[in-house]
Amino acid sequence: MDMLQFIGPASGLLFTLENIIWINLGVFIGSVFAAIPGLSVILCVILFLPVTYTMSAVPGMMFLLGIYCAGGYGGSVSAILINTPGTPHAAATMMDGHPLSQQGRTKAALKIALYASTFGGIFSALMLLFLGPQVAKISAKLGTAEYFMVCLFGMTIIAGVSGKSMIKGIIAACFGLLLSCVGSDPMTSYDRFTFGVSRLYLGLDLAVCLIGLFALVEIIAKAEKKHSELNMHASKISKDDGKITKDEYKRMVRPVVLSSLIGSMVGIVPGTGASEASWFSYNTAKNMSKHKEEFGKGSVEGIAAAEAANNAVTGATLIPLLTLGIPGDGVVAIMLSALMINGLNPGLSLFTTDGDIMYAIMLGLILVNIFMFIQGKFLTSLFAKVVAIPQQILTPIIVIFCFAGAYSVNNNYFDLSVALVFGLMAWLMRKLELPAVPVLLGMVLGNMTETNFRRALLISNGSPSIFFSSVFCWIFIGLIAIVVFSIIRSKIKETRAAKTATQEVSSNG
Amino acid sequence: MKRILSLILAVLMIVGMFAGCSSKTESWKVTCPWAPSGVAAMVSQKAAAKSTEHSDSITLVAEAIKGDAATVNTWVADTEANDPELVFVGEGLLSITSIIDPAKMQFSYDDFVFVENLYSSIFVLSADAKLNIKSLADLEAYVAKGEEISVAVNGATSSEAFLAAALFGSMGAGAQLKLTPYQSAAEAAQAVAKGETKFAVSHQTQILETYQQGSVSIVCAFDEKAIEDGPFAGVEGVGEHGYPYFRNCCFVMARKGTDEQKITELKNLYDEILKDEEVSTWLNDTMLLEADTMSTEDVQAHIENVQNIVNQYKDVVVG
Repeated sequence: MDMLQFIGPASGLLFTLENIIWINLGVFIGSVFAAIPGLSVILCVILFLPVTYTMSAVPGMMFLLGIYCAGGYGGSVSAILINTPGTPHAAATMMDGHPLSQQGRTKAALKIALYASTFGGIFSALMLLFLGPQVAKISAKLGTAEYFMVCLFGMTIIAGVSGKSMIKGIIAACFGLLLSCVGSDPMTSYDRFTFGVSRLYLGLDLAVCLIGLFALVEIIAKAEKKHSELNMHASKISKDDGKITKDEYKRMVRPVVLSSLIGSMVGIVPGTGASEASWFSYNTAKNMSKHKEEFGKGSVEGIAAAEAANNAVTGATLIPLLTLGIPGDGVVAIMLSALMINGLNPGLSLFTTDGDIMYAIMLGLILVNIFMFIQGKFLTSLFAKVVAIPQQILTPIIVIFCFAGAYSVNNNYFDLSVALVFGLMAWLMRKLELPAVPVLLGMVLGNMTETNFRRALLISNGSPSIFFSSVFCWIFIGLIAIVVFSIIRSKIKETRAAKTATQEVSSNG
Repeated sequence: MKRILSLILAVLMIVGMFAGCSSKTESWKVTCPWAPSGVAAMVSQKAAAKSTEHSDSITLVAEAIKGDAATVNTWVADTEANDPELVFVGEGLLSITSIIDPAKMQFSYDDFVFVENLYSSIFVLSADAKLNIKSLADLEAYVAKGEEISVAVNGATSSEAFLAAALFGSMGAGAQLKLTPYQSAAEAAQAVAKGETKFAVSHQTQILETYQQGSVSIVCAFDEKAIEDGPFAGVEGVGEHGYPYFRNCCFVMARKGTDEQKITELKNLYDEILKDEEVSTWLNDTMLLEADTMSTEDVQAHIENVQNIVNQYKDVVVG
C-alpha cells in the first residue's frame, strides 16, 4: 500500500463542492439528532441511508461520516443542558457537564465538549490514516478471552460512579447486569425473563431505558419542586460568557490526549463502542487528576475526557472496517452496507484496487471533524439558549421528544411503557439514594461480559486458563489490579480522613 | 422572523399535501426483520432504490427493523390483507424457530402470501489454514481421526448451525461437534483466523477478506454442485458427496388475502429489478449471491427440506 501514490487522486475525489455540502449536511443532521434524547445516531444513519444510494461512494460516505462524528458530539448537548444524554455514550459527559451548566457555565461546558470531541475525532482520523492496517492486525488477534478482560476492566468503573456509597453503586450495577439478561440467551437463543412478552425477546433497548433512567426521572423530580425553584436564576444565565480560563485549558490537555488514545484503542476492538470508551476515559481521568473532588461537580477534565474518548472511537471503528471488512459497531456496520451497495467490498485488497476512494474516505474524516468544529462554534451559543427557556415551556417539549424518541427506536408503543417503567424505577432509586449511572453501566457491559465469559469457557472446554493465555489478558489483569488497588487505597484514605474529622469535631466540642 | 417561519411552514405543508394528492405511485413498505447491515437488508435497499426505474405505479420503500420473530409478530399483528406492506421471512423463522422455539412465533406460513424470493446464498465451510483442509476428502480424513470439531456460527440456532450439524452429523461426527455461537456473522467468520475455532460456516462475502489474507482455507460449499463463479469458483458442493444442504433464501411476503393482481404486479416488479444488469452484476460480484426467483412450490419445498434437516439434527444443535 503506497499512501503517497493515492493521496493526490484521493484529494481530487474529496475536495469537491458536492462533498463539502454533504459533509455539512451530515454534521448538522447528526448533531441535532444526537442532541434529542432517544433519537440515536444509528437511527439517524438508518433513516438517511437510502439518500446515499443515488450517490457515489465518497459523497455517500462523507454524508454518513458527518452524521456519525457529529452524533458523537451532539449527544453531549442535551447531557449538558438538561441532564439527559442524547445518546448512551454521552452519559459520562453528563456527570460533569450538567453540574457545570448549573453553575451558569453552559457555554463553557459546550465549548469544552466541542474542543475535546474535535481533538479526539482528528486524533483517531490520523491514526486511521497512518496506522490503520498495522493496528487492525493487532486488534484481529484479540479474542473472546481478551474481550472478557476488557469488560472486567470496565466493571472497575462502577467504583468511580457510585457516588457516596460504593455498596449502593455495586447494588445498582448488579441490577443493571440483571436487566441486561432480559431477552434471548446469547449462547442458546432461549428466552430469559421475557414472561411471554414477545417484544422482550430482543432484550431492553439501551436508548429507551436511557430516556426513562435520566430524562423522565428529571421530569418527575421537577414535578416535585416548587415553581420558583425550577428556573435557573437570571443572573447565572447573563453571567455565562463561555470563557474557559488558561488554567482550565491546561488541565484539559492531559485527559484529552489520554482519552483520545483510550477511545482509539477501544474503538479498534469490534463489539465495544463509544459508551465503554467514554466511561474508561472518565474513570482514568478521575484517577489521574489532582482535583478528584471536582469530579461529579462540574469538572472540566471530566467533560473533556468523556468527549475526547467518544469521538476518538469514530475513526478507530473504521480501522477494522476498511482494513478487514469487520464493522466495529452498529453505525459502522450500516456504513459497510453503504460501501457494498456501491460495489466496494472493504478489506486490504481494496486499498490496491480502489486506493483513491479508501484514502479519500480517510482524509474526509479529518475534514468532517473540522466542519463539526466550525458548525459547533456557531451552534454552541444557540444551544446554550435552551437553559434560558422557562421550565414550564421546556419541560413539555422534552417530554414530547422523549416519548417520540422512545417510539422511534423500534417503531412500537411497547417501548413507551418501558421508558415509563424505567422513569419510575429511577425515581424510586433516587429516593433510596441508589445511583442510576451504575445501572446503565451494568446494562452496557452486561451482555458483552456474559457472552464473552461463557464463549471463552466453551472454547477452552471449561478451563479458566484461557483468561491467562495471552499477553493482552495479562495486560488487562495488571490494569484491573492497579485500579482495584487504587480504589481500596482511596477508600482507606477517605475513611481515615472522615475519622480524623469526627475526632476533631468531638474534641473541639 | 416568526412570520417568515410560519409562512415557510405553511407553504411546505401545502406543497406536501398536493404532492401526496397528485402522486400516482403506491408506496409499498418492505420490512426486513434483520440487521440493517445484513445481506437481506442490503438487497432489499438495492431493490427499493431500483423500483422507481422499473415501475410507474409501485415504489418500494425498504426498512430494516432488527428483531427477527418479534418484528414479524408485530408486522402480522399490525397488517391486514391489501395493506401496502411486505415483509421478509426466511427459513430461519419458517423452518428453524417454528420447530426449536415455536412460542416465539405468533404467526405461521398461512398468514402470508408469497411474492418473490430475491436471492439465494450458498454458505461455505472455512477451516484454519494450518489444518490444510481444502476439500471434502481432506475433511473426511480429519473427521475420521476423531478430534474435536469446533465450528463458529452466527447464532446458536441459526441456519449456519444447522448446516454444520447436518454435515458433521451425517459424517457420523455429531458427538465430536462443538458449535460456538457468535453474535454476528463477521465475528463468526473471524473466529477461525483468531484460532478460537477450527471451522466456520458463513456467507461467501463474510469470509472473503480472511480467505484473501491466507488465514483460512475454503473446504466446501453447502450446495448441490461446485461454486461456478467468483473468488470461490471450484469449491466443491456437499451435495455431490450425498451430504444434506440448503441455500439461504429470504422470501418477500405480503399479508394473506392481498389481491392476486397486486401480488403479480409486485412479483413482476421484483423480477424486472433482478433482471437489471446493474443489480445482477452487483449481486454476483459484490454480494457473491445468486438472483433466484421462485414459485410457491419452490418455497414449500425449501421450507420442508430445511425442516427435515432441523428435525434430524436438532439434538446435535440444541443438545
